Amino acid sequence: MTDFPEIKVPRPDELDLEFYQAVAKAGALHVQRCNACGAWRHPATYYCPRCASGDYSFAPASGRAKVYSYTVSHMSVEPQWQARAPYVTIVAELDEGPRLIATARDMPADKVAIGMPIRIVPETKSPDFAVFWAESTRKETPDE
Amino acid sequence: MAATGSSFSGKAAIVGIGETGYMRGTDQSILQMILAASMTAINDAGLKPSDVDAVIPPPGFVAWDEIAAHLGIPDVRYTSCPQMGGASPTAGLTTAAMTIAMGLAEVVLLPIGWNGYSALRPRPDARPNRRRFSAAFFDVVKNYYAPYGLRSAPWWYSLYLQRYVKEYNVPPEAAGAVALACRAHAQLNDKAMMRGKPLTMDDYLASPYITEPLRKLDCCVETDCAAAVIVTSAERAKDLPHVPVTILGGAEGHPNRPDELINRKDVLDLGLHLAAPRAFRMAGVTPADMDFLQVYDCFTYVVLLELEALGYAKRGEAAGFVKDGNIQLGGKFPLNTHGGLMSQGHCWGMNHIVEATRQLRHDAGPAQVENCELGLVTGYGDLGDGSIAILARGTR
Repeated sequence: MTDFPEIKVPRPDELDLEFYQAVAKAGALHVQRCNACGAWRHPATYYCPRCASGDYSFAPASGRAKVYSYTVSHMSVEPQWQARAPYVTIVAELDEGPRLIATARDMPADKVAIGMPIRIVPETKSPDFAVFWAESTRKETPDE
Repeated sequence: MAATGSSFSGKAAIVGIGETGYMRGTDQSILQMILAASMTAINDAGLKPSDVDAVIPPPGFVAWDEIAAHLGIPDVRYTSCPQMGGASPTAGLTTAAMTIAMGLAEVVLLPIGWNGYSALRPRPDARPNRRRFSAAFFDVVKNYYAPYGLRSAPWWYSLYLQRYVKEYNVPPEAAGAVALACRAHAQLNDKAMMRGKPLTMDDYLASPYITEPLRKLDCCVETDCAAAVIVTSAERAKDLPHVPVTILGGAEGHPNRPDELINRKDVLDLGLHLAAPRAFRMAGVTPADMDFLQVYDCFTYVVLLELEALGYAKRGEAAGFVKDGNIQLGGKFPLNTHGGLMSQGHCWGMNHIVEATRQLRHDAGPAQVENCELGLVTGYGDLGDGSIAILARGTR
């Protein structure tokens, strides 16, 4: 993957910055969690949609997830993504509940299916940002 | 069909329409196009700019006060703007009808326009364009979607449309039927960008994927254009040149959460699922009563979901509704009789309102739905916001 032109790294603000800093600093997945009722949520919000508490933290999450949806992009208007096409983007549903977007790694498009188990792995890009990769948790078996 | 309670049903009507050409490249600025469409709509209504007393501006590019200043509107008594992208114009009909029903103003101008083609491909000699569109969800896109190669609408929406396709085995021919209906209707429309370019199902199925499930021909066309309508009270409408097109019902609805696409309990629930029943209830009519459907068609698969939201098919079953010519002229529910965003041009759905008005005036030329009395317009935008207006020929 290192041969591709680098993706553009955003500079998030406010709660998005708090979220990404928590992930980037730990080098591990963290997700916002309500300190009052324990509900997980993403992207981060100031108040809990379940109990309306404003008390939250960014808590370590397991990284265990399932494919909720995905797309295979065959083209892009951005050179750094056109170079990667076709690329597979996953909507991952974390075991904790929230969904997040990740790029499939070592998972060809024809092996991706809704409901399949995956693992979400962050990669720190700056002190203020990390990207997420989706990896299959299945062992490769020939001609499954 | 009478209004119930304090609803605005039946109290306001569309009396003027205007649109520019639907162009790939123009020397006109966005402001100029919006002013031209507005002036056409005002003239069409048999009114003067000084008769306008409320402006509902587009949710971007141009502000209400520029519009008022350039048109010479002396007394803007009310202005307000629904901020929901492609759902804004149809939601604006509700705002206009409320404004009139409450007596805040009497003649409301709703314009929209943009350089959807030229913004990405400016001519070398073009004057600089600093007009921008902005929405709250742009931050979500910047921080969570764009870093994954999901830069614009086809890539965002593919994330949930693929789940729709996979969960319900939606065949590509269903989306193709939407593309073909729009394209067939565009052949009847002098203003349609795709006039003279008929489309077959084989052409559609051969269209390359951009991002699955979206093929190139599932996407609407990038356009430079503007359109506008004038809404006034049902009483005043009776003295104006055209048959009034009465707003019988209108509503908006928004997914929870509205600022982000994938963290919704059910990603296939659109704002329109909430809005449609509200609007039908207000209008006192049912989906079966509609003579035509002008449905916001940024992407074919979104149309399928909207048809389900409107009640024409159960969840996952819109494919059965769009087949066998049911949504083509001559079928039971002709869809986007002007060609829609897919084949006339992308004017944020204001062109759908213009076309619905033309139909209900019985002034739609070769695309006329014979003897139509009732029709609907929908809007969709900003990651799933929905709006709907139910329109009727004449005052009630």
